[in-house]
Amino acid sequence: MNGIGVAAETRELAERLVMFEAVSKHALEDDADATCRVCEKLRRPLVTLTGNAGFSSLLSRALILAQREAPALGTVQVQADGSMHGLQEAGAAATQILVTYLLSLLITFIGDTLTMRLIDDIWPDLRRRTVSPLEKEAK
Amino acid sequence: MNQINRVKINQLASGVPGLDEILGGGFPEFSFNIIAGAPGCGKTTLAHQFVFRNATEERPALYFTVLGEPALKMLRYQQQYAFFDPAKLNTAVRFVNLSQVLIDHGLHGVLEEITRQVQATNAGIVVVDSFRTVLRREHQGDREVEVQSFVQQLALLLTSWEATTFLIGEYSVAEQANNPAFTVADGLFWLYQEVERNSVVRKLQVMKLRGQMSVPGMHTFRITSAGLQAFSRTLGLTGSKKKGPDRRRLSTGIAALDEMMNGGIPEGDSLLISGPSGAGKSLLATQFIASGLRAGEPGIVAVFEERPDEYAERASSFGLDLQTAVENGSLAIIYLRPLDLSVDEMMQELIDAVKKMGAKRLVIDSLAGFEMALAPGFRADFRESLYRMIFALTGIGITIFSTLEIEENFTKFPFSSYLISFLTDDIIRMRYVEIEGQLRKIVTIVKMRGCAHSNDIREYEITEDGIVIRERLTDYERLTTGIPTIRQEIK
Repeated sequence: MNGIGVAAETRELAERLVMFEAVSKHALEDDADATCRVCEKLRRPLVTLTGNAGFSSLLSRALILAQREAPALGTVQVQADGSMHGLQEAGAAATQILVTYLLSLLITFIGDTLTMRLIDDIWPDLRRRTVSPLEKEAK
Repeated sequence: MNQINRVKINQLASGVPGLDEILGGGFPEFSFNIIAGAPGCGKTTLAHQFVFRNATEERPALYFTVLGEPALKMLRYQQQYAFFDPAKLNTAVRFVNLSQVLIDHGLHGVLEEITRQVQATNAGIVVVDSFRTVLRREHQGDREVEVQSFVQQLALLLTSWEATTFLIGEYSVAEQANNPAFTVADGLFWLYQEVERNSVVRKLQVMKLRGQMSVPGMHTFRITSAGLQAFSRTLGLTGSKKKGPDRRRLSTGIAALDEMMNGGIPEGDSLLISGPSGAGKSLLATQFIASGLRAGEPGIVAVFEERPDEYAERASSFGLDLQTAVENGSLAIIYLRPLDLSVDEMMQELIDAVKKMGAKRLVIDSLAGFEMALAPGFRADFRESLYRMIFALTGIGITIFSTLEIEENFTKFPFSSYLISFLTDDIIRMRYVEIEGQLRKIVTIVKMRGCAHSNDIREYEITEDGIVIRERLTDYERLTTGIPTIRQEIK
């Protein structure tokens, strides 16, 4: 990723992760909850891998990039431990864009294969479970 | 009870080609090791090679990073190496960052977290990279005892949990003395990167390895896209050369020369052909290789002064088709990139090629080019290096044909310029002679170890069909001076 844009596949992956989280909960929740959970699930292994400081800086960069596309993320703040404040208020669409940019940064640094290894570890059923268009529509 | 049942120490393959021989079989299982050296000398890559070679899901490797190279960058770069297996990430190979633990809780916290992770995962391999940064924070003033205690507890813990451990640290050679970690360690491996003039040579040394015999001294290594490859300084010196009296003779490709050699070159010999520039040494070597190819014997030509396609093209101008043999795999023309080779690397490359192809004949064209291809630091030991290389290669049964350019001299008749005659079994000498206003060429067999050979000095010519050997110049004497005179009785 060079700041010009994000690959369509990465946007699709972020969308799938959010959909998967939303559907797997079977809850009548807002998409923002699902996107927050995606962020949190990504945070845990990445903090193990890179430390709090490493993950925070990665997330901060993703946030800056995502804010250009989703100004609603302007109020979101990254904490020292990699958690975020104000994500819920930013809304589902904006949060999904943040996830997109975080994934995109990961792909830039460690490539598709290793990024997908991490994703598979966090969501082992993601590849098996394809979100149907109806489920997508229902959300 | 006279018999002692000694404990068997299993050895784990290092994953680094050539290193297991240096280690005396591999890294001892459950050992506590330190890989030290300056930044950029290959410590992390060596640890990764070991980890990816040995880690399994049942006994995973825990790779702890601490205040050093961020894991994300480490993954970014290490995945470029061929040994890196993405499928092992987070299953057999797990990366854990301890920076925050060290900052917040110091050595005690680090020890606790390593203990927790090792116990939780049943880790069989533990790497701490960089261990130096762990200690640097505490290794000052009256905290030295705490550091020593930490190192000992860590070693005890990891050995008790049957983990093979590597601590990686940026240490300078001056720090070798009085380091508590070095005292506790079972193995201490030092990597160096030396710059001499414009060339860089990497070397490693096993400074300490408990429980097994490693090869002492400095060993060169190279880092390529496949990772580290090590070359033992004793490569090729093991084993012995057996040469029977009734060995097969290999044709030189020139019938008259074969006749002078009593049937050709004894198989497994090292032959040196020396002479001035333009005498036809390379052509003779090419005819030797081409003759082998015609007899179904695969060959290798190691060239230093011209590229393989140029070499094959020059051969074709004499009607010798090397290109077809290259294409069908019976001939390899190896161009060894010049200027920073170690002898061991070159030897390894040639040995590998010989074994892979089942080659019977090897041409080294030329020894002067070989010397120039070596990094300057190795040129001082050229004779010793050449001895090892010839011993190693003839030891695996190949027949070597080396060319050597020597400066023409009209007062002496030297056989070679390196005092290396003792290294070769056979020597053919070519030289120019001035006769009747012409610069003509003569050839003679100077030596054939343990074999009878012709003592004739014969004239030869370079024709479009290659070298053609003529009759003895019986009308002349003092041919070896280069300025012969007509014999008295002819006058």
